[in-house]
Amino acid sequence: MKKIRSVVVVGGGTAGWITAGRIAALQKKRLGKSQNATDKAVQVLLVESANKPPIGVGEGTWPTMRNTLRQLDIRESDFIKHCDATFKQGAKFSGWVTGKQDDYYYHPLVLPQDFSQVDIAPYWLWQKQQQQTESFSKAVCFQEYLCEQNQAPKNIRTPEYAGIANYAYHLNSEKFSRFLQQHCMEHLDVKHLVGDVTGVQSQPNGDIESLVISGQEAPLAGDLFIDCTGFSSILLGKHFNVPLTSCEDVLFADTALATRVNYDSSDAPIATHTNATAQNAGWIWDIGLQTRRGIGYVYSSKHSSEEAALAELLRYTGGQVNEADVRKIPINSGYRQTFWKNNCVAVGLSAGFIEPLEASALVLVELSASMIAEQFPATRELMDIVAKRFNDTFSYRWQRIVDFLKLHYVLTKRQDTAFWKDNQDMTSVPESLQELLQLWRYHSPRDYDFTSNNEVFPAASWQYVLFGMGFEADYSHTYNPDSYSSNMANQAMMKNKGMVDRCVAQLPKHRELIDKIHQYGLQSI
Amino acid sequence: MQKLVALHAQEHKHFKIKTEAVESVGSHERMIPVVMSEFIKLSVQYPIVFTKNIETGQFVLVALMGFEERENLFWKNDEWDAIYVPLNVTRQPFFIGADAQTKQHLICIDIASPCISMEEGESIYQQDGSESEYMNTIRNRLSELFRGEQEAAGFIDILGKLDLLVPLSLDISFANESHHQVQGVYTIDEEKLQALDKATIGELHAAQYLRPIYTMINSLSHIYGLIQRKNQRLENA
Ligand SMILES: Cc1cc2nc3c(=O)[nH]c(=O)nc-3n(C[C@H](O)[C@H](O)[C@H](O)COP(=O)(O)OP(=O)(O)OC[C@H]3O[C@@H](n4cnc5c(N)ncnc54)[C@H](O)[C@@H]3O)c2cc1C
Repeated sequence: MKKIRSVVVVGGGTAGWITAGRIAALQKKRLGKSQNATDKAVQVLLVESANKPPIGVGEGTWPTMRNTLRQLDIRESDFIKHCDATFKQGAKFSGWVTGKQDDYYYHPLVLPQDFSQVDIAPYWLWQKQQQQTESFSKAVCFQEYLCEQNQAPKNIRTPEYAGIANYAYHLNSEKFSRFLQQHCMEHLDVKHLVGDVTGVQSQPNGDIESLVISGQEAPLAGDLFIDCTGFSSILLGKHFNVPLTSCEDVLFADTALATRVNYDSSDAPIATHTNATAQNAGWIWDIGLQTRRGIGYVYSSKHSSEEAALAELLRYTGGQVNEADVRKIPINSGYRQTFWKNNCVAVGLSAGFIEPLEASALVLVELSASMIAEQFPATRELMDIVAKRFNDTFSYRWQRIVDFLKLHYVLTKRQDTAFWKDNQDMTSVPESLQELLQLWRYHSPRDYDFTSNNEVFPAASWQYVLFGMGFEADYSHTYNPDSYSSNMANQAMMKNKGMVDRCVAQLPKHRELIDKIHQYGLQSI
Repeated sequence: MQKLVALHAQEHKHFKIKTEAVESVGSHERMIPVVMSEFIKLSVQYPIVFTKNIETGQFVLVALMGFEERENLFWKNDEWDAIYVPLNVTRQPFFIGADAQTKQHLICIDIASPCISMEEGESIYQQDGSESEYMNTIRNRLSELFRGEQEAAGFIDILGKLDLLVPLSLDISFANESHHQVQGVYTIDEEKLQALDKATIGELHAAQYLRPIYTMINSLSHIYGLIQRKNQRLENA
């Protein structure tokens, strides 16, 4: 039986370094420092091209990133200092329902109050039918209040990776991959090679035997090859010819115009949520880092010309950027039919990409890296079993993400542009999402509605978007306002009000906490 | 509110300090910052632990006085019921400040302090304008605290690097069956300490850190004393 001893990761973007790091870190933890550890260890080598820089966008993350960094043995304070990173507590969707001035809702990262004990949604809906009530996100969760006031999710005494409110990060993608590189090389024994992969040598069974690298005489052999080459997908896409399952007829965005805007002053407030503002043919992301904001328009080129999109973006930035500072990135919306073929698995953009709404790309990188590291196949024979599971798991996850992103569009009431009207066309809605929407007319989203334990987004996230978008539902046939659970829901809402007062009174401003982390650092306990 | 001004021989010539009022300054402190040179005296009665500075999140050494916010169980019948009162109380109402321009250290006085009197108490200055014996004691206390803060920083730094600090998790039930979870308090991880290699232990010994480490660990037994005081207070309430 052939043991899997050497892993070759191709590509040095965030996907490459996270995957290399997770495998190396877990090996290190499992083997410890014992004498024979080096004989047993799996060698991880990362090769990257000097000519093709990483994509350099991708600034929004999920709370999973906290665990990923911790698994890599990274100190949170170091990460925040070196990656221009800030705290993200959710997303604010403006203009997605009616497009009017007061149209917005939040998708916070904190679950609805007492979510594991009681579902507040039916009670909230009933209240809404009786009288004017607060928005769903405000009624069930305190985090929107923190976001509206640029308040941090923790204070300087909260240990690293712990939060008073749940959080993820906004980060500078270029700095992040350089930071990961240094950490992986210095602390996790990941080897690094610079060169372009120009060819592949195969074994009779189709496995990759070795890679031809520019400037290297001998080809680079390995047991497992991980394709993290971004959109070029040179191994899975080009060598193995695994086609892309397109999502363009569901999610229309196919182009991004990305730019950045500096703050007016070094003490300007930093937003602690992603601003996602609807436009004529898509939406604009606006992400606050420590030293600048990253802004970009994701749009459908079938619904807008580049000139019109550029004009919308420039208008959004209030004249603070000009055309020369805007970078165009085409998006080929879709994911591979399989992700793991023979002894090659793709992670990151090479595996697929759909528009960055809800920042799902890095989550998938983290989940992929984690599964490869945790279920690392000991032998070549086992690899086929792991590969099958990996493919099933991630095909499912991509479908769930597509459904979840489409949910943000399908419930819009906007009739002002073709883009929003086309999004309401039921033929563009996957059957799986149509079924869920039918279920949810009669009960609110709950974890039982999903058939797998591989969900990327919890039922709470579906609730926030569903009710944030003003979904019309009627739960009256199964719902009684005098019941025990209504009482519990009412109590949970009162509790949430208490949390609002306490958190708003106690938590520092986001900028203030970031400054303090630079000055003092967070404690690990 | 405190109001600190630099101590000035002319301006504060007639100031006196009511020493019995000084102790009341700490009457509602749950934790009082301490220095290592006091450890021997503190360890007779107080649990000595770490907590995080509210502004910086950095660890500091404190003696634990109570469980609830603003609870000092050593404050009884309007006086300090303990053999030793921490320096950070007895040095009141004096502080060390720095001159805004020269950055030189100087003694400041909190002129809003209720311990100050014009009529009774210990004089700061003698008739001839020189500092009194009492003020000399204060000076010594302040410099002990000042040196102690730097010493503690080195101590805490090493403990942090060796990963020896742990949150103290205590779930306490009092006589009236109320529960209290001690939070925000840290101590030294005895297991990790035991597991240190000889060379590291040698370094801690050479830096004279072993003794304060064990003093802190042993002082935790005084938490039972604190619980007893709390129960008495509940009974009398
Ligand atoms: C507009 C936009 C917005 C986004 N926003 C988000 C977001 O908010 N949140 C989120 O999670 N994600 C976001 N993403 C996705 C995110 O940027 C990526 O998932 C992430 O950066 C990982 O990229 P990667 O490492 O797969 O690819 P890349 O960063 O492109 O890295 C590819 C690497 O492969 C190397 N390479 C390529 N060809 C070869 C070769 N022949 N030989 C050797 N090396 C080679 C390159 O040198 C490079 O190092 C966004 C993406 C886009 C396009």
